[in-house]
Amino acid sequence: MKTEWGGVRSGLDAFDLTGKRALVIGAGNPAGRAAALALGEAGADVVVCATSTDGDEVMAVKRVQQEIAKMGRRSSSVACDVTLGTGVQVTVRQVAKDLGGIDVLVNAPKLFLGKAADAITDVEWSRVLQVNLFGTFHACRAVGKEMLKQGGGGRIVNVASVLGERAIANAAAYCAAEAGILNLTRALAVEWGPRGVTVNAIAQGWMEHSAAIGDLDPAANQTVRFVPMKRAGAADEIGPLVVYLASDASGYISGQTLFVDGGLSTHL
Amino acid sequence: MLERFRLDGKVAVVTGAGRGLGRQMALALADAGADVVCAARTLEQIERTAADIRALGRRAVAQTADVRDSKQCDALVQRAADEFGGIDIMLSNAGIGDMRGANAELWDVGDDDWRDTLDVNLSSAFYCARAASKRMVEQGRGGVIINVASGTALRAYPMSFGYGAAKAGVIALTKSLSAMLVKHDIRVNCIIPGFVRQAPARNEQEQIFAQTRGRYIPAQRLGEAWELGPLAIYLASDASRYVTGQGFVIDGGGLAGGLAPMGFAPVTGGS
Repeated sequence: MKTEWGGVRSGLDAFDLTGKRALVIGAGNPAGRAAALALGEAGADVVVCATSTDGDEVMAVKRVQQEIAKMGRRSSSVACDVTLGTGVQVTVRQVAKDLGGIDVLVNAPKLFLGKAADAITDVEWSRVLQVNLFGTFHACRAVGKEMLKQGGGGRIVNVASVLGERAIANAAAYCAAEAGILNLTRALAVEWGPRGVTVNAIAQGWMEHSAAIGDLDPAANQTVRFVPMKRAGAADEIGPLVVYLASDASGYISGQTLFVDGGLSTHL
Repeated sequence: MLERFRLDGKVAVVTGAGRGLGRQMALALADAGADVVCAARTLEQIERTAADIRALGRRAVAQTADVRDSKQCDALVQRAADEFGGIDIMLSNAGIGDMRGANAELWDVGDDDWRDTLDVNLSSAFYCARAASKRMVEQGRGGVIINVASGTALRAYPMSFGYGAAKAGVIALTKSLSAMLVKHDIRVNCIIPGFVRQAPARNEQEQIFAQTRGRYIPAQRLGEAWELGPLAIYLASDASRYVTGQGFVIDGGGLAGGLAPMGFAPVTGGS
């Protein structure tokens, strides 16, 4: 659109991601899948990545890749254990080589643990932190390196949770990991801001796919009553925000946690 | 995907649409398909915005309004109904971020100054939301209210403490209204801009000022008014249908930290 600011992309065209190269880690879970599909629909080429080499997850990611391919975008699927920094580094390096660079990273590794704090074992605690927080850092570090090297800036979107900002009982490890992601997001935003890389987090509320809802007894679903919109969110309601944060138009938003939660956080 | 951001057939009222952020957001909403009632105190400026919107192929009218007067806010909603058949989006952007109190002691700021600051920056948002929501409920098709607050609400802002306080009120108002209106399918969110330039630099002095100011922000620059446009489209459209009661900070990373001359820890150790 032509205004006194010149021919800036400040209207609908701002959301067009044609030519952008995106990597979505955790595309096998609902939020990651929604992010990957949204980026593809908006025109980006998308590499989808599983967070482990587990057969079911790898297959789920492959199916997402096929959906993106049907849109006519360049796409491929890869897998790496996100808990291992060097493995993530090697995978990211290869993806950057194949795509000729990476413009957008979406992190959506998700491992929930519903358990009383005094019963959490060392192994469980460590695993939840490893997948959610360490996994996010490993990918940010590896892709950030590429973005800084490319020199043209970049966009990083970390899919986190309302539980990173507020807490519930029986989820101590997950709450700690998600809170870690939110301040990691701020730290990277401050550090990489001068190089044109923005880093933001999306805090999901109670979603249809939330493990905190689905895996617990039916009484847990009563929590949806406390969401002002009186319903759980659908995964595809995250997609448009991912597209916005991945676009050139969001260059002045960084270090933020943006809630997609039906108003839940206004009551917490 | 892009169709989820479209606003075809929607009617928006934008206050403070004559210049700066309001003008850019009005243009962006129109670009996404909305018809717009452009409001501000200065007719000449909103007529220009309205003309630019018509050039995009949408309908637009300009109506002068002083948003400190609730009747004039009511009239804006009425105008939207008269011209375009209703209202779907109320974008309360009008406000005055002057430096009242910048060089004054606290006790030198008079009652009238204080009240006026609250009226124009906080009461206006209430008046517009009240008028718009009433009409939206009558229409029965939901709606969207977007308020514009300011990063000065989240930190000490001695240069205009009344402005900061009023904008903090806008953030709180947004949360409560979102809870009150959710049952009518009306979403209420607010945009919280940091240091955003209202217009391109007109001379070297302004350019230098912007660069100096920008050094203390992670993005290393001030924002530009047009950058608010896509955020307004996102919040106004179905793309954000599960988002309500929120404040979207757009400040180049300033609030995340780094808003200090250093911003970096000394690099020590490591291997």
